[in-house]
Amino acid sequence: MVPLVYFQLLSAALFIIGLYGVMARRSAVLIIMSIELMLNAVNINLIAAASHREGWGSFVNFDGQIIAIFIITVAAAEVGLAMAIILRMYRNRATVNVDEIDLMKW
Amino acid sequence: MSLHDLYLISPQLTMAGLGILVILLDLATDRKGWLAAAALLGLAAPLALTLVQLAQLTGIYGPALDNLTPASSILAPSLSVDRFGLFFNFLVITAAALVILASVDYVKGLTRLQGEFYGLLLLSASGMMLLASATELITIYVALELTTLPLVALAAFLMNARSGEAGVKFLIISAISSALTLYGMALIFGFTGSTSLEGIAAGLGQATAQPNLPFGSYALLVGVALLTVGIAFKLSAVPSHMWVPDVYEGAPTPVVAFLSVASKAVAFGLLLRIVYTAFPEMGPEWGILLAALAAVSMTVGNLVAITQSNIRRLFGYSTIAHAGYILVGVAAMSQTGAGENGVAGGGGFATFGPSSVLFYLAAYTAANLTAFFAIIAIGQRIGSDRIDDYGGMVRRSPFLAVALALALIALIGVPPTGIFVAKIYIFTAAVKSGLVWLAVLGVINSVISAYYYVKIIRVMFLQPIPEGGAETATGESGDEQPEAPTDQPSKLTNLAVALAALATVLLGLAPGPLLQAAESAVTALSGVALR
Amino acid sequence: MLFQDIIFWVLAVTAIGAALGVVLIRDLFRSALLLAVVFVAVAGFFALLSAEFLAVVQVLIYVGAISILFIFAIMLTRNVREGNLPNRLQLPAVLFPALLLAALVVAVVSSDWRPIPEEELGRAQLTQTQAVNIVAEETLAAEGFSTAAALENAQQAGLADLLIGAFVLPFEAVSLLLLAALIGGLALARSRGG
Repeated sequence: MVPLVYFQLLSAALFIIGLYGVMARRSAVLIIMSIELMLNAVNINLIAAASHREGWGSFVNFDGQIIAIFIITVAAAEVGLAMAIILRMYRNRATVNVDEIDLMKW
Repeated sequence: MSLHDLYLISPQLTMAGLGILVILLDLATDRKGWLAAAALLGLAAPLALTLVQLAQLTGIYGPALDNLTPASSILAPSLSVDRFGLFFNFLVITAAALVILASVDYVKGLTRLQGEFYGLLLLSASGMMLLASATELITIYVALELTTLPLVALAAFLMNARSGEAGVKFLIISAISSALTLYGMALIFGFTGSTSLEGIAAGLGQATAQPNLPFGSYALLVGVALLTVGIAFKLSAVPSHMWVPDVYEGAPTPVVAFLSVASKAVAFGLLLRIVYTAFPEMGPEWGILLAALAAVSMTVGNLVAITQSNIRRLFGYSTIAHAGYILVGVAAMSQTGAGENGVAGGGGFATFGPSSVLFYLAAYTAANLTAFFAIIAIGQRIGSDRIDDYGGMVRRSPFLAVALALALIALIGVPPTGIFVAKIYIFTAAVKSGLVWLAVLGVINSVISAYYYVKIIRVMFLQPIPEGGAETATGESGDEQPEAPTDQPSKLTNLAVALAALATVLLGLAPGPLLQAAESAVTALSGVALR
Repeated sequence: MLFQDIIFWVLAVTAIGAALGVVLIRDLFRSALLLAVVFVAVAGFFALLSAEFLAVVQVLIYVGAISILFIFAIMLTRNVREGNLPNRLQLPAVLFPALLLAALVVAVVSSDWRPIPEEELGRAQLTQTQAVNIVAEETLAAEGFSTAAALENAQQAGLADLLIGAFVLPFEAVSLLLLAALIGGLALARSRGG
C-alpha cells in the first residue's frame, strides 16, 4: 500500500506547479489551466486523506470523495464562465494576455 | 427532505427563486420597468420568512430555541438556522433591496440583459444568505462560489474594455483564492477527519498537539493560513486585496456597491463562525494572526488611498482599510473567546468583540451604500468618476453633494453617524482583550483616512465647476463612464441615497436596538464556543 | 504491494512531468494536450485510492469536457504561435511558490496524520470501493466482513446516499451555482448588440 505521505507530497508538488503557472504566465487561458492543475492537486489530497483515515462515527470516510465531486462540478462551472469572459475580452481587445490589458494597473 | 427542512432553507430558496423568476419575466415582457418592481416586491418573501424564523427562535410561538435545525434533520450538519445567520439574512436582503432601487436608472442604460442583471444579483444574494448559516466546509465552499461567480459575471457585464478587464481580474484572483482555500480545507480535513465545523473541533481535541507551535501542528498552521488567505479575498483584506481597486473602478457601480457591503459582511460572518465553532480552543493564535492582518490592511488601504484620483478606485482602497478596522473586532473576539476570563457565564464581556463586528458591518453597509449611490447618481449626471470633475458639485446638485459628504464624514467615524459608535465599540473591545497597540494604530489610521475623505468634500464644496461644463464630460479616450450623462433627475436613485443616508444617521443617534440585536445574534454563536 | 508502488511511481512521474510541460512549454496547444495527460494520470491516482467512481467522473468531466473547452478557447483566440509567454513577475513567481512548497512539505512530513493502520487499510479501502456498490458480497466476506453488521455498515455507506442525504444542501446549492454560471456565461457571450 502506498503511504499517505507520498500522495500528499505529490499533491503539494502539483499544486505548486499550478501556482507557478498562475503567477508567471501571461495568457489568461493558461492561467485558468494552471488553476485546474491546482484543483486537481487538492482533489488528490482530499481523496488520499479520506481513504487513509477513519471518519467520525464510521469505519471509513467518504467526505473526501464528496468534496472532490463538488470541486469537479464547481470547476466545470467556473471554466465555462471563464471562457465566456476570456472570449469577450479577446473580442474587445484582440488579446488574451493579462499584462497587455493595462488600462488599469495589474 | 421533509417539509420542515424546506422551511429551514426557505429564505435562501425564495431568494434564488426570485432571481430565476426575474430572468423568466424578462423573457415574457417588453416593459422592462416591471423587472425591478418585481424584484423589489419579491424580496418581501425572503424577508417575511426570515422574520417568521426569527419569531420562532425568540419564542413568540413555541419555546425559544438557539437553533431551528433539529439534530435529526438531514440538514443538521450543514446548516444552522440561528440568530447569527438571520442577522446576516436581514443585512443581505436590505442591501439587495437598496441596491436594486438605486440601480433602476443605471440598468435602463443597458438595452438588453436587464433581467439577467437583477437575476444574477439575487442569485448571489441567495449564496450570501446560505454562507451566513453554513456550518460545514463543503457547504461553505459551494456557497462561497455561489456568492462569487454571479458577481464575476456582473463585473464583466458592461460592453467596454474596462469592465471586461475587471471581470478577468476578478475571475482569476477569485479562482486562485478558492484554490488556496480548498487546499487549506483539504489539510484541515486530512488532519481532523471531518468537514463539519463541530467535527473539526472534536477532531482537534483528539489530535496530539506539538508544544510551542501555533495551532499545535504544522499541518493545521499551514491549513489555517491558506484558509485565511482565501477568506481574506472575500473580506478584501490584505493578502488577497489586489483585485479590489481594479474591480471597483471597472465593474458597474451598483455591482460594486453590493459587493462592497453584502459580500464583505457575510465573509466576516463566516470568519467569526469558523473561528468560534471550529477552533474554540485556539483563540489566542487566531487573535495574533488576525491582528496582524488587521494592522497591515488598514495601513496599506489608507496610505494608498491618499494618492488616488479616481473616486471608485479610492473607495476600493478605503474598503480595504475598513476591512482592517473590522478585523480588529474579530481579533479581539478571539482573545476573549479563549475562555481565559472567568465571566463565560455572564456573556457580556466575551461577546463584546463579535457584536461590535456585527454592528460595524451594519453601520458600514449604510454609510458605504450612501456613498456609492451618490456616486452612481453623480456619475449619471456628469459622466465621470475622476475626483477633479466633482468640483462645484454643491451648486450642481446640492442634495447629492450633501449626501456624499455625509457618507464620507461617516466613513471617517465622526460623531453623529453609525461608524463612530461602531469604532468606539470595536476599539474598546480591542483594548479589553489586550490589543492596545492595535486600537492605537486604528485611531491613527482613522485620522489618516480623514485626509482623503475630506479632500473629496473640499473639491465638491469649495472648488469651481471644471472647465468644459457639467454635461459634456470630455475625458480622455476610454476614460468616460459607461453610462452617458443625462439630464433627467434619477428619482429612484435619489430615494435610495436618502434611505441609506437616513440609516447612517439613525444608527449614530440611536444605536441601541441594533446593538442589542447584534449582541443576541452573537450569543447564538458563543453559546457553542463557551459550552 | 510492489505492483501498486510501481503504478504509483509511473503515474507520479507522468503527472509531474506533464504538469511541468503545461506551464513551461511555449505552444499553448501542446500545453492543453499535456493538461489532458495530467487529468488522466490524476484519474489513475483516484483508482489507486479506491475511488473508482471519482476516477470515472474525472475522465468524463475533466478529460472529456474541460480539456475540450480549453482547446476550443485556444483555437478561437488564435494567437497560438506566440503562445505562452512569461510575464514580468518572474522572481516572485519562483520565490513565493518555492516558499509555499517548503511549508507544505514540512507540514506533511512533520504532522501526525493518524492514518488507519496498515493491516486495516485493505478492508477500509474495499469499503470505499463498495461506496458505489461494485463489490461482490463474497469478496467482502473474504476480506473479513464476516459479521452481518459489518457487511451492512459497508453497504449502507454509499456515495449516492450521502449526496442526497447528509450533503443534500450543497448538492442543491451547486445546482443554483451551475444555473448562475450558465446565465452569466450566456449573457457575456451573446453578441455585442447590448
